[in-house]
Amino acid sequence: MQPRRRVPAARWLVVTATVLVAGCTPHSVTEQGQAIYNLYNLFMYIAAVVFVLVSGLVIWSVVRYRRRDEELPTQTHGNNRLELAWTVIPTVIVLVLFVFTIRAQDKVLDQSGQADVNLTVTAFQWSWRFTYEGTGAEVVGGPGTVPEMVVPVGARIRVKLLSADVVHSFYVPQTLFKRQAIPGTVNQFDLTFDKVGLYHGQCTQFCGLQHTDMVYRVRVVTQGEYQSWLAGASRRGSAGRPGT
Amino acid sequence: MATTELPLPALPEAHHEEPGGIVDYLTTVDHKKIGLLYIFTSFAIFLAGGILALVVRTELAEPGLQVLGENTYNQVFTMHGTLMIFLFAAQVSTGLGNYLVPLQIGAADVAFPRANAMSYWLYLFGSLIVLSSFFVSGGPAAVAWTAYAPLSTDQYFQGTGMDLWIIGLAVVGVAGILGAVNLVTTIFRMRMPGMTMFRLPLFSWGVLVNQLLILFAFPPLTVVFALLFLERNFGAQFFNPAAGGQPILFQHIFWFFGHPEVYIIILPIFGVISEVIPVFSRKPLFGYRAMVFAFFGIAALSFGVWAHHMFATGLVYLPYFSIMSLLIAVPTGIKVFNWIGTMWRGSITLSTAMLMALGFILVFLVGGITGIFLASPPIDFAVNDTYYVVAHFHYIMVGGLLYGMFAAFYFWFPKFTGRLLSERLGKWHFWIFLLGFNLTFFPQFLVGLDGMPRRIADYQIERWGPANLASTVGAFLTGVSVLIFLWNFLVSIRRGKPAGDDPWGGNSLEWVTSSPPPSHNFHHLPEVHSERPAYDYRHSPAYAAAHGGPDTDPDRG
Repeated sequence: MQPRRRVPAARWLVVTATVLVAGCTPHSVTEQGQAIYNLYNLFMYIAAVVFVLVSGLVIWSVVRYRRRDEELPTQTHGNNRLELAWTVIPTVIVLVLFVFTIRAQDKVLDQSGQADVNLTVTAFQWSWRFTYEGTGAEVVGGPGTVPEMVVPVGARIRVKLLSADVVHSFYVPQTLFKRQAIPGTVNQFDLTFDKVGLYHGQCTQFCGLQHTDMVYRVRVVTQGEYQSWLAGASRRGSAGRPGT
Repeated sequence: MATTELPLPALPEAHHEEPGGIVDYLTTVDHKKIGLLYIFTSFAIFLAGGILALVVRTELAEPGLQVLGENTYNQVFTMHGTLMIFLFAAQVSTGLGNYLVPLQIGAADVAFPRANAMSYWLYLFGSLIVLSSFFVSGGPAAVAWTAYAPLSTDQYFQGTGMDLWIIGLAVVGVAGILGAVNLVTTIFRMRMPGMTMFRLPLFSWGVLVNQLLILFAFPPLTVVFALLFLERNFGAQFFNPAAGGQPILFQHIFWFFGHPEVYIIILPIFGVISEVIPVFSRKPLFGYRAMVFAFFGIAALSFGVWAHHMFATGLVYLPYFSIMSLLIAVPTGIKVFNWIGTMWRGSITLSTAMLMALGFILVFLVGGITGIFLASPPIDFAVNDTYYVVAHFHYIMVGGLLYGMFAAFYFWFPKFTGRLLSERLGKWHFWIFLLGFNLTFFPQFLVGLDGMPRRIADYQIERWGPANLASTVGAFLTGVSVLIFLWNFLVSIRRGKPAGDDPWGGNSLEWVTSSPPPSHNFHHLPEVHSERPAYDYRHSPAYAAAHGGPDTDPDRG
């Protein structure tokens, strides 16, 4: 009897854990995002255990201790040892999570390396301008024009983020990273894409009437493709609008 | 245990000559009537905010703009958030507190009954000012409920609607401060003899800490609205970088109010759960003192975490705000474990109020755990301002607040009216709400992780479609569950089973008086020897003598 009862319980645990962990972030396409992806998974595993444990205890108490007779249960008021345990253990867990958080954060925000591409991104109501410092290349979006930020794979892109009007937010979901563009403030961060591809980007800070339309694309290409694109874009100067 | 009846102070005779009906409610200074006015007004606003939520969900059911234009969509979700956060969530527990705190501490009324009435009327008129923005040219504000500057300044958003929004909410903020002074004073100064602070029922503790938070958090909100109003109308430049202003200042002051606001909303609900679970487990609250200290732990930490809403600004010191936010999990965890400790080896009755309390623990657990993710800056960089955050705070706000509020309604409706709500309809309400709520908000975690930003009127990415459709179906199911509750209310208030003074075998003093209580609250009061005076009273010789022997003890069936 005992083993037969254990199998469904174990299966239930596995199913629950799978459903929970299925709520995963997509894989990151940048070096920096990889650190976030790993951190997220660590949090997810601990969260799944905590969720199963606590909800299991709640459901168990309700099932096991349903009122069956008129007998008044023992009137216990507390238990110092238990209460100490469920104060100390969560404290230790969050301290561990904090240590991993700091380590991941240092990787994500690290700007010690030499930048390969210096890119100024200016957010404005309601599109984006990508300026390639020192090359004369610039891409500007506008009504009906989705701008495309073209960057080489494997290179350290240093993004200088500005806003021309209200607060916006630069976000490419597959980098697992975003940063607000705040008027009067220069924000700077690095992105190193490790996969060639075309990625969706969108403003995530509500910025007025056409916030919904403030989308852009990131095209990650090989170094060679990037150089020839850059040469073409520089020749066209700021009038170039390769976005479609 | 000896139970002598305490003499009550003589009451002014004028109490007996109150006019009836509407005039009575317009002129009342009775904390119970003011409490009900708060509850009815905030519930009406909740229904309006809920309808706006359904409009939002209808628009988002599938890709493409079908129902609203972008401008209308922005107005609708702005007003949804405004009504729900400012005019409903923070107010409904003030209503419950107004009604129940004087009863729980054995007082005849609050400390400042007239200021209490004034606080309600300011709240009502402030709310009407906000709502009047629907009828001015240009319509209501469309800058999200957070109204970040400089978007909300006159440079980027013109129109009277925005100014009415600011003025109305400032008036509601003043009402909140006034109400807080009253309730805090009431709890500190009006407790009956024997009702020491460590015998105060947990709900009253929750209201006390919640009102203290209001005292400290609402003034900054009033300040930031004043700055914004000056900038919009009198040429001030607080948030304009071109004139030396700082847009980030707005976010700092706003969230210095905004994060304590979350606990302003949820602490009284923790109190509700801490009342309901012991009664339906027939055991005292496990770890009473730890529960009180946890309230203060949460309240203190809540003022040191505001910038976790601003991790993505790149302008805050991340480790400090991260560790402070993570640490909130500890006192919150203590609460959850103590609730489980209360149920452990108890004798549990699954009334609707208890089901709602259990629903609260489970959905709040999801909201709390995902909150830990958001306290970690790198993870926040990924999910900030996406539907993940929307799902997270709705698990706290809708899940936490609404389950707790409904638990309170099913638990105390008999005290308010003398009649029980239907348990049969209550169970339909609970299960449909549980299904609808999770169907609405769980898929939002998934699309959020997949990168869907919040506050967009439309999305082009087809794979976000199914989750959004599920959300919309869930939202309408939730709407159905609220209709069931309304039906239950309308039927039960007329034909509900008579409740008697104490239908559940309650612990706190409101269960000693009649349902509904007389205008001066108590004809007699038992002595208070513990945090469960009503329980002690039921087990006393005086009770046995008055009720014909221990056989009628509700704790024994």
